Amino acid sequence: MGRIVLENVTKSFGDVEVIPPLDLTIEDGEFAVFVGPSGCGKSTLLRLIAGLEELTSGSVSIDEEDVTLVPPSKRGLAMVFQSYALYPHMSVRKNIAFPLRMSKMEQSEIDQRVEAAAQSLNLIDYLDHKPGQLSGGQRQRVAIGRAIVREPAAFLFDEPLSNLDAALRVGMRLEIGELHNRLKTTMVYVTHDQVEAMTMADKIVVLQAGVIEQVGSPLELYRTPRNIFVAGFIGSPKMNFIEGDEAAKHGAKTIGVRPEHISVSDSQGEWSGVVGVSEHLGSDTFFHIHETGLAETMTVRADGEVGFKHGDRVFLTPRADAIHKFDDKGLRI
Amino acid sequence: MAIVAQSTRYGKVTRTILAWAVGLLFFFPIFWLVLTSFKTDADAVKPEFLFFFTPTLENYLNMTENYDYWRFATNSIITSIFATVFTLAVGIPCAYAMAFNPSRATKDVLMWMLSTKMLPAAAVLYPMTFLTKNFLGIYDTHFLVIIVLSLINLPIVVWMLFTYFKEIPKDIIEAGKMDGVNTWGEIREILIPLAWGGIASTALLCFIFCWNEAYWTVRLTTTEAATLSKLIEGNRAPEGLFFGRLSAVSAAAVGPIVVLGWFCQKQLVQGLTFGAVK
Amino acid sequence: MSNRTLPRLLQSPAVILLLIWMIVPLSMTLYFSFIRYVLNNLRRPEWTTPSFSNWRGFGNYEFVLNNKDFIFAIQNSLLIVGSILFFTVIFGVLIAVLINQSFPGRGIVRVLLISPFFVMPAVNAVLWINMILDPVLGLQGIAVNGLNDIIVGLKDAPLVGWFFSLWPTLEPISFRATQTSAYAVIIMVTWQWTPFAVLIFMTSLQSEDQQQKEAAVLDGAGPWSQFRFLTLPHLGRPIAIVVMIQAIFHLSLYAEIEIVSRGNGNKNLPYLIGEFANNNIGAASATGIFAVILANIVAIFLLRMIGKTLME
Ligand SMILES: Nc1ncnc2c1ncn2[C@@H]1O[C@H](COP(=O)(O)OP(=O)(O)OP(=O)(O)O)[C@@H](O)[C@H]1O
Ligand SMILES: [Mg+2]
Repeated sequence: MGRIVLENVTKSFGDVEVIPPLDLTIEDGEFAVFVGPSGCGKSTLLRLIAGLEELTSGSVSIDEEDVTLVPPSKRGLAMVFQSYALYPHMSVRKNIAFPLRMSKMEQSEIDQRVEAAAQSLNLIDYLDHKPGQLSGGQRQRVAIGRAIVREPAAFLFDEPLSNLDAALRVGMRLEIGELHNRLKTTMVYVTHDQVEAMTMADKIVVLQAGVIEQVGSPLELYRTPRNIFVAGFIGSPKMNFIEGDEAAKHGAKTIGVRPEHISVSDSQGEWSGVVGVSEHLGSDTFFHIHETGLAETMTVRADGEVGFKHGDRVFLTPRADAIHKFDDKGLRI
Repeated sequence: MAIVAQSTRYGKVTRTILAWAVGLLFFFPIFWLVLTSFKTDADAVKPEFLFFFTPTLENYLNMTENYDYWRFATNSIITSIFATVFTLAVGIPCAYAMAFNPSRATKDVLMWMLSTKMLPAAAVLYPMTFLTKNFLGIYDTHFLVIIVLSLINLPIVVWMLFTYFKEIPKDIIEAGKMDGVNTWGEIREILIPLAWGGIASTALLCFIFCWNEAYWTVRLTTTEAATLSKLIEGNRAPEGLFFGRLSAVSAAAVGPIVVLGWFCQKQLVQGLTFGAVK
Repeated sequence: MSNRTLPRLLQSPAVILLLIWMIVPLSMTLYFSFIRYVLNNLRRPEWTTPSFSNWRGFGNYEFVLNNKDFIFAIQNSLLIVGSILFFTVIFGVLIAVLINQSFPGRGIVRVLLISPFFVMPAVNAVLWINMILDPVLGLQGIAVNGLNDIIVGLKDAPLVGWFFSLWPTLEPISFRATQTSAYAVIIMVTWQWTPFAVLIFMTSLQSEDQQQKEAAVLDGAGPWSQFRFLTLPHLGRPIAIVVMIQAIFHLSLYAEIEIVSRGNGNKNLPYLIGEFANNNIGAASATGIFAVILANIVAIFLLRMIGKTLME
């Protein structure tokens, strides 16, 4: 079980209000991801749930029980830190066993659980190493092991992958996803990488300056972003935004089209421009188009390898049903 | 090129010799003290036995009869150890709270603690005598010496521990909280094992300062709780009669501490400059 | 709430103990400094118990300020502290620069150098005043006698004898007179605290920018200009800190003065307070307040500097 409800939560550091009043419900078994630009309050929100920060006002409850005043050690949550936060003076085995030892579990039971966790995380050979002797990926797995042995009501992750290199990150992402499928425990995951958010989440919470901009499934956010901020934040490369006459034609202040919803041609199309930098990824090619008269640059995606060169004039056509319209407050029409 | 190389080589040799000379010069008085302690009282003042004499252990063997050395030494050991333990027991939780739950007042509290250290002891001499003698009745007791030694070293100890604790990542303490430890558990299971080196050298330095303290231990004791500082101070002017035996007690009083001091040179810098010199 | 009360609770023993330690005796000193309070007075027995009815206002302060001993003690305190600071800083810088570079046996030299700092002050004083500086039996006396013997021996030597017969007989210096015992204190404390200065300057030199030095060498700077324009400015802050920390310690110098100078008139403020405290508590307390003021002047500067480095 692990249903987390935040009601009217606010947080200020001194005079600075980092989280204005906020409500959020994370259902039992859900994989919720907090995304947002740096400094928007993701970690703060997570730490409020964990109990590591004190609420300025409002309440937090876990499984219908108000835990606002309960210290972190009594909330039954497990957390995985960006820095892994392993105990450097303890072996891997002791690290993983630590929360169990603290809950006064029997030694035989502890051994059994540590063994099982180590098995599932491929750490069996390293049980007697100190954290200092492990690679980044292994440390991360130890941190996860320490979290899973105690069978918490929910897992909290604060950018757990950002200290790993790109290849390892993809691997660990899958492992965490696998873990969630296996355990079916609530997970709250903080990241500023929207790819991580899209691939892992059941529910994405987009934050900006402490305010929830939108909550929804990855595809909801992708298809129907509630406002310009979400539209620009979700999706990679970023959505193209066009203002002025072209937007007015659609009855909006701003319109947005994702790069993958624009087709490129050398002969005809609605808009035209000149090819600047092109990024060839093999499966896709991204062109940066200048001199469209609509926006500084527009990014478009083409399938596979398309042979436009720097300086070529090209024509662009947006997919009519994929044009997002926003009013003068930036809200979706 | 060759000339340059040669002149720097000469420079290096000169510097080595000079450095050794300075080192030996500074150590010489201690060496002299130890050397004299192996001479008989009579030999110690004779120029013909300056360096060459028949060494004797007599002075060390008679320390108890001559000066009641072990009684004072026992007092020094007891008061220094208990004061160190007490200071750490009060200082560790304090430094822990300051390092991991700093508030806006933390900096000011630390500075204020230091400022108590700068209060000249002599200014409160009479009130202390008055209070402990007439009012509390603890004058010349181990208890009093332990408390006073603890209090005068507490600011430095808190300060040193604070600088060590600040180097421990906050995440690790928070991970402990998430893993279900209470505050006492955090201190015992995580903080103390992690900062063990720093705590040990702080303790060592605190012990040395307690051992060498020479104002309160002299002024607030007479016989019962008198420490080695008091013993030496009381036998300060032997008029050349007892150089041998006085050297022996003095060497016995400082020897172990000087050796301990060698092990905490680095911490000394941090402890005495309050982290202001890195 | 729980997050705030617990840290307070953990800090409170230390804070409360220090608060008592600071406030109780100091406020008593302040109180005594404004009343007539003596330990023995047959004609005015009421003065022997502290009471507000013996209020004297600033009388004790006036008495102290008009006391020759007080002026002398202040001068002497400043002389002693100033000289110690001067010598420890000069020697400290020179020695630190000397042993900063590696040479054979550097570790051992370091250990030899630092040792004096750990000698207990009482032993330091006894050792120097008796075994080293004593004009007859100490090394000083022995050395001067030895020198005189050599000179006397050389007077009969052929050719150069007449030259040595012009030499006077050397007199050893007695360090037990009022002024010379202050010099003795300066010598022994300088010996003890130079290692401290060396240690701190060395720590600081280790963090000196080596690339800057190499750049200076390429720019043609000799050792002297390197020292003058790079090393000395780098040491500015540690020197200031060494000066202030030592000032605070040495203003309350006690054991050395007590051992070296008892009965010969050499005194500093703490010693004078001790003398007054034998009978005139009011005067002792007023002197104590002066000592506090003096120490505070130094402490404020020191705390400012430390405060800057605190919390990064
Ligand atoms: N202990 C603190 N004291 C004062 N301000 C803080 C504190 N912790 C965080 N803040 C401020 O709160 C805001 C939110 O910080 P938070 O760490 O939650 O951001 P974040 O979204 O996790 O950013 P990042 O992606 O960089 O980790 C920031 O502006 C930060 O400066
Ligand atoms: Mg963060």
